[in-house]
Amino acid sequence: MAEVILENICKTYGNNFNAIDHLNLSVEDGEFLILVGPSGCGKSTALRMIAGLEDITSGSLRIGGIDVVDMPPKDRDIAMVFQSYALYPHMTVFENIGFSMRLAGKPKAERKKRVDEIAKTLQLTSLLDSKPANLSGGQRQRVAMGRAMVREPAAFLMDEPLSNLDAKLRVQMRAEITSLQKQLGVTTIYVTHDQTEAMTMGDRVAVLKGGVLQQVDTPKRLYESPVNAFVAGFIGSPSMNLFEATLTGDDLISGTFAVRLQDEAFIRRPGLRSYAGRKVVFGIRPEHLYDSSLESGRKYQTIPAKVTSIEELGSEHIVHLNIDAVRVDSGDPDAVEDFGRASNAVAKFEPVSTVRSGSEIQLGLDDVKLHFFDPETHLAI
Amino acid sequence: MRKRNSGKDKLITVALHIALAAGLFFAAFPIYWMLSSSFKSNTEIFALPPTILPKAFTLEAYAAILGDPVKLRFFFNSYFVAGAVTVLTVLIALLAAYGFSRFNFRGKGSLNTLIISTQTIPPITLLIPFFGLVVSYGIFDTYVALILTYLVFTLPYAILLMTGYLNTLPRDLDEAVAVDGGTSWTALWRVIVPISLPGIVATSVYTFLLCWNEFLFALTLTKSTSMRTVPIGIQLLMGQHAFEWNQMMAMSVLGSLPLLLIYLVAQRFFLAGMTAGSVK
Repeated sequence: MAEVILENICKTYGNNFNAIDHLNLSVEDGEFLILVGPSGCGKSTALRMIAGLEDITSGSLRIGGIDVVDMPPKDRDIAMVFQSYALYPHMTVFENIGFSMRLAGKPKAERKKRVDEIAKTLQLTSLLDSKPANLSGGQRQRVAMGRAMVREPAAFLMDEPLSNLDAKLRVQMRAEITSLQKQLGVTTIYVTHDQTEAMTMGDRVAVLKGGVLQQVDTPKRLYESPVNAFVAGFIGSPSMNLFEATLTGDDLISGTFAVRLQDEAFIRRPGLRSYAGRKVVFGIRPEHLYDSSLESGRKYQTIPAKVTSIEELGSEHIVHLNIDAVRVDSGDPDAVEDFGRASNAVAKFEPVSTVRSGSEIQLGLDDVKLHFFDPETHLAI
Repeated sequence: MRKRNSGKDKLITVALHIALAAGLFFAAFPIYWMLSSSFKSNTEIFALPPTILPKAFTLEAYAAILGDPVKLRFFFNSYFVAGAVTVLTVLIALLAAYGFSRFNFRGKGSLNTLIISTQTIPPITLLIPFFGLVVSYGIFDTYVALILTYLVFTLPYAILLMTGYLNTLPRDLDEAVAVDGGTSWTALWRVIVPISLPGIVATSVYTFLLCWNEFLFALTLTKSTSMRTVPIGIQLLMGQHAFEWNQMMAMSVLGSLPLLLIYLVAQRFFLAGMTAGSVK
């Protein structure tokens, strides 16, 4: 077990493309850190640099206090779970898990004892003689985990290990990996593009965009206090609604509606007053928008909205709406845009809501939960 | 309308079958003739009109070949040269292909182009230069001469073939070995080679066939009867005064058998995907 410290890590490819730009990250001993970001943000590159599979252009990387920049992967005391699992197809589950011990020249008896222990933990005992081709996706995933665990490494590196599993199995494996990590207490760096995994699994989450670290914090703080519009839009599902408005006195004016801000909003964000008379980006999460015809939504001020479509999920309704405001792009390249521009906002309503597609409604808005960003820099105010 | 169409379809099917049957006959008849002639006496072969099936079935041609140490030596030479070239080709091609497939180095593109370009040179144009080289190195009429010469012809294509195959294997496997504590060398021998059997078999079959069938260089670079290979051995049966057709055919049959066996044994490797279950 060890801490992993990245200082000013850069990765530049031949064509001067900066895949990673001065990344500073400190992962505590035993911590579960999630690296998250949209496709191409450099999260996998960062992980591969920690593993030693990718050269580091500049900067320093220490694992357990030892500078490992010039060390090959085998000397870094890390274990990695690949997105593809990368199981050795010609070897049995036993041989796959025990391969690193065999390379290390460990005696057969010791190998067998250790592999058996791990197989028991991962419920693979009955499959030890099977080849990867005869395993299900979930079983292969567990073998890949076993192969990493057998090394008793200083740190686990996991590169989107659940992305090839179906949705149900993913939820199950998410919980299994989290509890396994807690049980083993090994420092873990986990790469994902799935922000649900990011929010539910890690002690802390590092959000990357274009090779630049945006914010590192606990899932709760990322959700509540994003440092910029990108993090605000990326964390949370569905994404935060971001709009442009003008701050006039205590009112946020956009199109034909105005939202009155309470004193609390200005107390919590002292900088907000300086935007008086200027444009500002405001954000509201779908779960902080309400159906005003329901008891839960009555206490909030309302704005007019038109319902364009509804996804009934049973436990909640995802309601796509159109409000009279200009939507702001958070900068997430993976965000699914509504190309028809029929809707520009998303809300989460209770399943008892009776709103229908096409109807004009009054949308309740919890103004205390509004987020504010600078329209130029997109930084939080 | 429908009837006319189905009638036309039937006609096309019949025509197709006739064409295929003609093709099959064209391809299979020489093989049949070789087999049939090998079981005839030399007198029957010259009989007019020719006999389709052997009138007097005899194994005398086979006995003449298998009982003659000189002719058996032809087989040994062919096996030895083709076997040695195959082993060396696969080994060298595997190492070269692993380099091309997994590493980036200066001049990689040019080297690749150079390898491909050697395939455009007709081998016969190199006959005289090779003869000169072999004589000047003092290896004329030796196995070494044949093995080295054949390597020149088999290696480029074998490298291309193996590189293509290795490119289809996920790099994650090499990286998994690196993380598991191995080197590139470990990855190659412990993981890549065992799962590359289909590629290795394809390369081996290609190489073995090329060497087994080679005539021109074997004829030029060897002189003594004890160094001759099967194709030359068959030709030697065409004497100045007599043509031992039945023995030539029997030798051809015996010469074709190993190839047939190799195909039968190797074909399962061409079919099975060896990396199944490795990734995803």
